[in-house]
Amino acid sequence: MSQGTNGFFILPGGLDQAAFESALPNHSVDIQMGTAAPVLMLDCHDQSLRSSGRVLLENRGSLRLVSMQGQVSEQQARGKGQFVQNLPEGPVKAALSGFPTLRALTPIGTGEVEKGTLTILDDLEKTQVRGHILSLRTDRGQVAFVWLQNLRGYDRAFVSACESLEGMTSGGFDDLFDALFPDMMRYRAKPEIALGTQEPSLEVATDLIRTYLSVARQNEAGIVADIDTEFLHDYRVSLRRIRSVVSLFKGVFSDQQTAELKRVFSDLMAPTGRLRDLDVYLLEKDMYLRLVPENLHAGVQAMFDRFEQERARELSRLTRHLRSSAYEIAMTDLAQKFSTPEALMPGPSAERGAYSYACALIWKRYRKTCKLARSISEETPDQTVHDLRIDCKKLRYLMEFFGPLFNAKDFKTILKPLKKLQDNLGLFNDYSVQQEALLAFVSDQSTAQGRVDAQLGLAAGGLIAVLDQRQKAERARVISNFQHFDSPEIRHLFRSLFHHTKE
Amino acid sequence: MKIIACYSNKGGVGKTATSVNLAYAYAQAGQQVLLCDLDPQGASGFYFRVKPSKKLKDARFFEDVERFTKAIRASDFEGLDVLPANLTFRDFDVFLSRMRNKRSRLKKALVAAGSDYDVIFLDCPPNFSTLSENIFRAADEIVVPVIPTTLSERTFDQLVGFFEEHKLRKGKLRAFFSMVQKRKILHQDTMEKMRGLYRKRFLQTSIPFTADIEKMGQHRAPVSTYAARSAASAAYQALYDELENGVVASK
Repeated sequence: MSQGTNGFFILPGGLDQAAFESALPNHSVDIQMGTAAPVLMLDCHDQSLRSSGRVLLENRGSLRLVSMQGQVSEQQARGKGQFVQNLPEGPVKAALSGFPTLRALTPIGTGEVEKGTLTILDDLEKTQVRGHILSLRTDRGQVAFVWLQNLRGYDRAFVSACESLEGMTSGGFDDLFDALFPDMMRYRAKPEIALGTQEPSLEVATDLIRTYLSVARQNEAGIVADIDTEFLHDYRVSLRRIRSVVSLFKGVFSDQQTAELKRVFSDLMAPTGRLRDLDVYLLEKDMYLRLVPENLHAGVQAMFDRFEQERARELSRLTRHLRSSAYEIAMTDLAQKFSTPEALMPGPSAERGAYSYACALIWKRYRKTCKLARSISEETPDQTVHDLRIDCKKLRYLMEFFGPLFNAKDFKTILKPLKKLQDNLGLFNDYSVQQEALLAFVSDQSTAQGRVDAQLGLAAGGLIAVLDQRQKAERARVISNFQHFDSPEIRHLFRSLFHHTKE
Repeated sequence: MKIIACYSNKGGVGKTATSVNLAYAYAQAGQQVLLCDLDPQGASGFYFRVKPSKKLKDARFFEDVERFTKAIRASDFEGLDVLPANLTFRDFDVFLSRMRNKRSRLKKALVAAGSDYDVIFLDCPPNFSTLSENIFRAADEIVVPVIPTTLSERTFDQLVGFFEEHKLRKGKLRAFFSMVQKRKILHQDTMEKMRGLYRKRFLQTSIPFTADIEKMGQHRAPVSTYAARSAASAAYQALYDELENGVVASK
């Protein structure tokens, strides 16, 4: 029964009036549609809205958000290319709270929208059910949203209309996308990669690399179009994962092959580094301004103006690189290489089964990480803390790569304190890198005699002082965060998950 | 919640047309309106294409709040619901005579079931009965259409007499001239005479006799929905303005 329904339906393929009418004996259905108007369907690259069961439409300067439960918010605003936090205040912005702040709204498709009304009449032409329709059409298909209104005293007609529409929906929200954009690929920054416990390690490595190569490639267009900074970030993370596979999966490739792959992927990564650094500084601009008193703001602003200029130069350089035929050939070759693993030179562990290989790698990395972490005291040099950050990252990557082979709940228990420790180490590193960058910036801006513009110098000096304080504070937290991770429960989990065979 | 009865002890004076068009005017003004068809002939329901109620029969009208509420139907117009009549409504007097507090049962039923509404209109059957006494007590205002003819004059005298005899508040009576044909001398004379006799009882607005109102039976809808610019539509709007806001249209 549809008694519990709220009268909202998503109909892939549109509303079939004849079928609807024939399901309602002694009633007629009157549908009046307005004129079609062009519409943009907006979401961010990883389709956060779709994942949360919503669609955002932009049409004639207004935004309309429809959820799969049928709630609608509307607001006058342009959405394309905007960040949600920068939209004018209104119902759509309010409903979108929680949308990723680093992601811009971008068209995932275009089509036409039509609004209409629907009336179900009895033999006396008395309205028994009223409704309205929003119809979306692309060149591939169409979808109708239908809202039915239960009129007082006509529950029976409402229930049978709902039942009949219920039979025309196929259920899931994804059907809507399948109907409108059948070929749309769903972007996932971290795709699920199926692994078998006995799968040869070489196969695991090539599966991972092939997958992340494809993830990287899906971000190229967004980097070039400069939609938001997450495209470059995801691009770099994918390449970094690949490099981790190459360096952490010891013995899977031959030494020569490993060295070659390391070089290839390091070369791919190199032209992206400066742009990402600049992105990070610019994203943190407000934070920087808050760090120093207002009388230093002019200098900070001048600094950021230069960052903006440099970013524009870096972006056009990277764009040229990504659009070059040399790059295209290199990426096609790599994709080719990793879809035919026979082309790669195997190492001694190439045939080892994934599960036992994973246990050995993770166990070894875990012990190494703990040994280093336990050695850290107040007096340990900063470099050791940096090394710990790298070790934790490697451990985390290994666990994520092989995650599908292990108990998800146990992994969650381990990863929670590990992530906290990593966040802590990450901030420690960021503050240190930012100080170095500021020093480098000032020395870049200074004359041959070592003189620098006073405003810039003051701003940089002020920032460095605050960042140094923050770095020290983060460092002070490392020992206690590690102790959380090094609890008896986590130790036991590591042993039982990765070291039980040796007992 | 305000209760407005549309009543006349004479038939065929335009009661139902008044109920339907006034209820529509109140709903158009943004009020939540319920039109109760107390006349077993069910003409109000007919005008809104609402079928007679099957289950709200016998004494249930006065005793079963749930049945009463369930029998209410949305009209095709925003803010206007209809309680259709049932043929057993003709026996209201029989049921009422068996009940205690038989003169205040209607008010009780309306208050219990009609709490969602700003205004409840009662389209009443044309007679003097226990039901009409209930109506006179329940209503805050009683709108009385009067055709300016000798016979109508007589029935209005009877109504005022009834109010005096039963010590009912005469101030509730809001009479107006209905189906007025201005060219008829008789109409003009009767109107002048009655306005003189019942100065406080009569509204200034009168409703003309027009084909547009007669056509309600064909359209089965309020006049303003199919003849928005007609004299009839304007007259009902003026009647609403005078009743609700005390505003008299200057013509």
